[in-house]
Amino acid sequence: MTGHPVSRRAVIGAGAALPVLAGFKAAFGQDKSITVGINLSLTGADAESAKRIFNGAAMAFDEINAKGGVNGYRIVVTPYDDGTATAGQYDPAQAATNARKMVANKATMAAIGPQMSGAGKAMAPILSQGDLAIITPASTNPDITDPKFAAQYRPAGKPIYFRTVATDAFQGPHMANYYADVLKVKNVYILDDSGAYGVGLADAFQAQAEKKGIKILGRDRLDPKAADYTAVLTKIKSMNPEALFYGGVLQAGVKVAKQSYDIIPKVIKAGGDGVYGPEMLSAVGAPANQGWYATIAAPHVTDDPKMANWIKAYTDKYGVGPEDYSVTAYDAALVIAAALKKITDGGAAPTRSAMRDAIQSIKVDTLQGPVSFDANGDIMDKTISVFQIGSDKAFPPDDMRQYKYIGVAPAS
Amino acid sequence: MTFGDLLLQQTINGLSLGAMYALLALGFTLVYGILELINFAHFNVFMVGSFVGLWTLQAMGLSGQSVILTGLPLLGVMLTALAVTMVVSGVLGVAIERLSLRPLRNVRGPAAMITTIGVSYVLFNIVLLTAGADSKNYPNPLPPLTWALGDAVLRLREVLIWIVAVALMLALHLFVQRSRLGKAMRATAQDPEAARMMGVEVDRVIVIAFFVGSALAGAGGLIFGLYYNFTSFIIGFTAGLRAFTAAVLGGIGNVPGAMLGGVIIGLIEAMGSQFIAAAWTDVIIFSILVLVLVFRPAGLLGRVAPNRS
Amino acid sequence: MTRAIALLSRPIAAIPDARRRQILIAVLTVAALAFPLLHDNDADIDAAANAAAYATLALGLNIVVGFAGLLDLGYAAFFAIGAYAYGILTSFQVMPPWSAFWEPFAFLYLVERLQQPGGDVVHFTVSFWIMLPVSALLAAFFGVLFGAPTLRLRGDYLAIVTLGFGEIVPIVVRNTDWLTNGAAGLNGVQAPRLFGVSFGVDALPYYYVAIAMVALLIFVSIRLRDSRIGRAWMAIREDETAAMAMGIDRTRTKLMAFAIGAAFAGMTGTFYVAKLQTATPEMFGFPVSVMILVMVVLGGMGSVWGVVLGAVILQLLQSWWLKDLSEWLHTLGAAIGNAWLQQIDLTRAVELIFGLILVFMMLYRRDGLIPATRKEPALNFEQQHAEVRRGGALPLAGLGNSDHGGLDVRGVTVRFGGLVALNAVDLTVPPSSVVAVIGPNGSGKSTLFNVITGLTPAESGVIHFDGADIQGLPPHELLRRGIARTFQNIRLFNNLSVLDNVLIGQHARLTTGPLAAVLRPPAARQEEADARIRATEIVSIFGNRLLPRLAQTVSHLSYANRRRVEIGRALASQPRILLLDEPTAGMNPAETLELAEQIKGLHDLGLTILLIEHKLDVVTRLADKVVVLDHGEKIAEGTPDEVRRNEQVLTAYLGRGTLAKATADA
Repeated sequence: MTGHPVSRRAVIGAGAALPVLAGFKAAFGQDKSITVGINLSLTGADAESAKRIFNGAAMAFDEINAKGGVNGYRIVVTPYDDGTATAGQYDPAQAATNARKMVANKATMAAIGPQMSGAGKAMAPILSQGDLAIITPASTNPDITDPKFAAQYRPAGKPIYFRTVATDAFQGPHMANYYADVLKVKNVYILDDSGAYGVGLADAFQAQAEKKGIKILGRDRLDPKAADYTAVLTKIKSMNPEALFYGGVLQAGVKVAKQSYDIIPKVIKAGGDGVYGPEMLSAVGAPANQGWYATIAAPHVTDDPKMANWIKAYTDKYGVGPEDYSVTAYDAALVIAAALKKITDGGAAPTRSAMRDAIQSIKVDTLQGPVSFDANGDIMDKTISVFQIGSDKAFPPDDMRQYKYIGVAPAS
Repeated sequence: MTFGDLLLQQTINGLSLGAMYALLALGFTLVYGILELINFAHFNVFMVGSFVGLWTLQAMGLSGQSVILTGLPLLGVMLTALAVTMVVSGVLGVAIERLSLRPLRNVRGPAAMITTIGVSYVLFNIVLLTAGADSKNYPNPLPPLTWALGDAVLRLREVLIWIVAVALMLALHLFVQRSRLGKAMRATAQDPEAARMMGVEVDRVIVIAFFVGSALAGAGGLIFGLYYNFTSFIIGFTAGLRAFTAAVLGGIGNVPGAMLGGVIIGLIEAMGSQFIAAAWTDVIIFSILVLVLVFRPAGLLGRVAPNRS
Repeated sequence: MTRAIALLSRPIAAIPDARRRQILIAVLTVAALAFPLLHDNDADIDAAANAAAYATLALGLNIVVGFAGLLDLGYAAFFAIGAYAYGILTSFQVMPPWSAFWEPFAFLYLVERLQQPGGDVVHFTVSFWIMLPVSALLAAFFGVLFGAPTLRLRGDYLAIVTLGFGEIVPIVVRNTDWLTNGAAGLNGVQAPRLFGVSFGVDALPYYYVAIAMVALLIFVSIRLRDSRIGRAWMAIREDETAAMAMGIDRTRTKLMAFAIGAAFAGMTGTFYVAKLQTATPEMFGFPVSVMILVMVVLGGMGSVWGVVLGAVILQLLQSWWLKDLSEWLHTLGAAIGNAWLQQIDLTRAVELIFGLILVFMMLYRRDGLIPATRKEPALNFEQQHAEVRRGGALPLAGLGNSDHGGLDVRGVTVRFGGLVALNAVDLTVPPSSVVAVIGPNGSGKSTLFNVITGLTPAESGVIHFDGADIQGLPPHELLRRGIARTFQNIRLFNNLSVLDNVLIGQHARLTTGPLAAVLRPPAARQEEADARIRATEIVSIFGNRLLPRLAQTVSHLSYANRRRVEIGRALASQPRILLLDEPTAGMNPAETLELAEQIKGLHDLGLTILLIEHKLDVVTRLADKVVVLDHGEKIAEGTPDEVRRNEQVLTAYLGRGTLAKATADA
């Protein structure tokens, strides 16, 4: 049960192999270095996405190290996996243990992750006590950065949980605005998938939709493990809604998409970033997925021509294409590098506390544009991008570019 | 949509669900009737069956819902898929019995049940590790025929599910009631010792029960895929739990009871989603299970079994 | 190599068993206490605390599955109940408006008044230390609530009901947002405080609490196991029918196991959430229940130390071994240039490994890594060939109690479907008499016994014992009133020792409950010591047949000895009437004679006996009165001599044709 933390790392495919070796070198060599822990749900339901997010951050650090690091400091990555087989997904207890591991490793100056807000809730108090800043590229439940829960999630006082994504508190409402203002929807039926993310997103959507005068015809909670939603969808059909909003991830989302195509094909359908994923294309497929709207809690940049090089570099390196949270992870890495630069420019040695303060006050140009954080650690720029699934003959049917970028959802 | 049409539509939904549960419940009932064993592996034999069906259909060149067949090619593809799925699932069931359950036949206590949980886990994880965690798009060559009944819609695939399920169940019923092996099966269920003394090869009967039950579960898995156009490694658990409830509701060990139980559970699920809330479906079904066990442990069609301990 | 081990183990073997156990426990305790001091890594201490929490869960499930033999597949539900009970009562989730009603609670520090713009509200701040026992009780309450309807049914229904229960508890948690914050998880669960200092997020205090809990639950488990309660659980596990016939209230005993197991889980839930300071419904799903079951199965069902070991091994497997092993395989793969080996990630296969553990343990090592019962060495040659001492009935207190009105059966009819097993049978057994029931196979003799002892319901008729109507009473109540029996096809508790079997016979005459079993007040100590002495005395009725074999597992005994144990077990219940179903079946003539004499000795002490017997010489020797059954009807009754000359009896036994031939020959 003893041993250097380096020997405990989970190795995630070829992408992680280089940083691992770098870690050995850093641990035993004479280089100046800092360690960044990356905690994602590498086991279980979210593993595929976790890998792509991890690669995003790892790629940034590899590029920085290749240029000789930041003021001579190399950045070493230590991966942590908060997914366990018993949970079948993220496991808060494992996330807590990982947070302790990060804090216990004196070389760790900052962290990236987690993917899931449930993991974040278990990690935040521990990281706060350890004064270790973490930047999440993907967890969007607002509780953790909500000042109402400051005593719980930042007991040591200062915010340590930063986000390079906007929270559900923006994603859901902005989509409600999009429904009301752009699509001119008069009434809607809301579904969620019982998960923390799905319920939160649907709640936030519902509240704003009501404010905007959209009639809520009903709300149902689906059991993600059940196969059959035809009865619920039949009930929805009998109410003749103009639109459906689904808050949740694709475990239930695949079935909602397939069965709603059979039962209510003409209704407008949308979800959050939970329905923005490859399964929507491969497992649902055309025609059932056609016309679905999806959002992401970040500016859309992967279509951007200036992004083409970045995407190519990523795809060449890892053999798979990036997703948008690969971008936010890359950006999180850039934030950490910029903070390190800010401290070391004056010749000071990096400390956790200095890193946190630097991150708090930073303004850095990233792939998604300039990133800075508010007093709670949330990203200032709260852009929600809207996509619609089509069938563009230019790309294979399961290429993520079948999500056609529509625009930015209105903020109010 | 009028209320009447809505009820009709939900009945159609419930009957389709019920037909699948019934096919799955039969496997529980056959094995329980003979071995008095709750076979948790059955949950995932169903799941494996749906994957076997998927691979068979893909091997015949189908993918997604884009290829639509009619007439003889459709019949040929469907019968082939059904036959392959049933045989492979049946053999899987027999293998489970031979390798993991037969050595425990005379061991008292929960050992055999624990083994079936283990086997269920093994099947589940093998599929998860090899086929992956993502949902699979199920090929479906059925023409999208529909009939309008007022505002309710009856689709070809629903009619087909009913026909296949009823045909399989009828065949099973005749097999159990009329054939020599079926009689041996019933005799073994009544009293294995006496049956053995009367010259029934009990081992053979048990193998047949596993084969037939697993083959029906496999058929259920294929039908599942064709009905929902998807499958995933996770489908066995919820469906299995509901099917088991159906078997208990109808009277475990009782073949017509399993069918009746399946249909009732299917209808309860549909009506529960309509009139209560989808989120509480599992709670409703579980409450029914407990109520049945408390007030009518023999089930709707079962007789009170003498305690054979 | 093996030689070296043998040489090394010799001095260890020289240490007496009990001493060796004490040393081992001391070493383990010191190691557990010193671990955080020697290994100052917060994350590893945290992982060790998690492992300890799982060990407490495994200990709880062991009571249900291991001791009582009940398969509980929804054990995590009780874990969830304990977790949410604490979570809700210390977080900011439920905050009713403040009113004077809450003043006394605030005084007791159970709540505090929170100032809020919209009016003051109540914030629950119940102490962790209060919630530990409260959560245990709450979980036990739910255990009784859900166990009661199903525990009277067959054991396998329990598996499916608990599975369903385990499924719906997280669903209910998820769907009651106002109470639990639903899927988003509880916010702001309080850390425990001790002497005004909060535990905070430092892993160390949690580790010591977890270790203390494991120690406490090991202690409780062992105390329960070695008590009247533990023996009753194991009796139910081994043979439910025999357990009932030996005076054990089946439903009550099972419920007790279920509730105590649930209590362990509830307590652990409170601890777990206090440490994590958040709770989500996903933390308590079916995979958690299965993992705890795997721990119990791996360590050994019913083995207290075994399940702790199982929990530790699984935790090590998940947290370290699989990762290390994967890395070795990667290194190996890199060395030999095998791409597949370099890709392997065994951590993903952990559930597959769980499944394989379940299957292989059941097939090849059902007793687990540390079996609950250690095999006693067989008797040595001398002991086996020692001269047989006959023994004989001793005038023990309570034996041969003839102070009762006898047994009176009137017009009892039993039907199985269309078959009439007993037709209006009358039977009287006066106090201090020996009555024998004879008849051909299938004549209804054993059915008669089953009716009298409450195992088979009678369709009509009345049964009185000592003047009271006893028909329809449950078997355990009948034994309490003094009706004890043996079975035609011997129903002993096969995996238990001779001593335990006889002790279980005394169940109804002892009073130790679960609390006394754990605390062992002087009265309970005395009762147990007396019971053991008494068991030895009863066994000595059979001379040195059983006495040297007291500690042996009964399944290893000879057939005749098992018969003797069964009679001894029945005698241990201090019967007022003893029902013996073919006691000499399978014995050789010498053994038969020996047993007949021993039974006669019991009768001489005044014990009333009802006997089914095929061997007519035994019947003649023992019985005051003989009753003959044929096809469920009483066809004759009288002294052995009278019955022997009865023509109808001869017909029944020999068949009409043979009788005619015999008469003609004469």
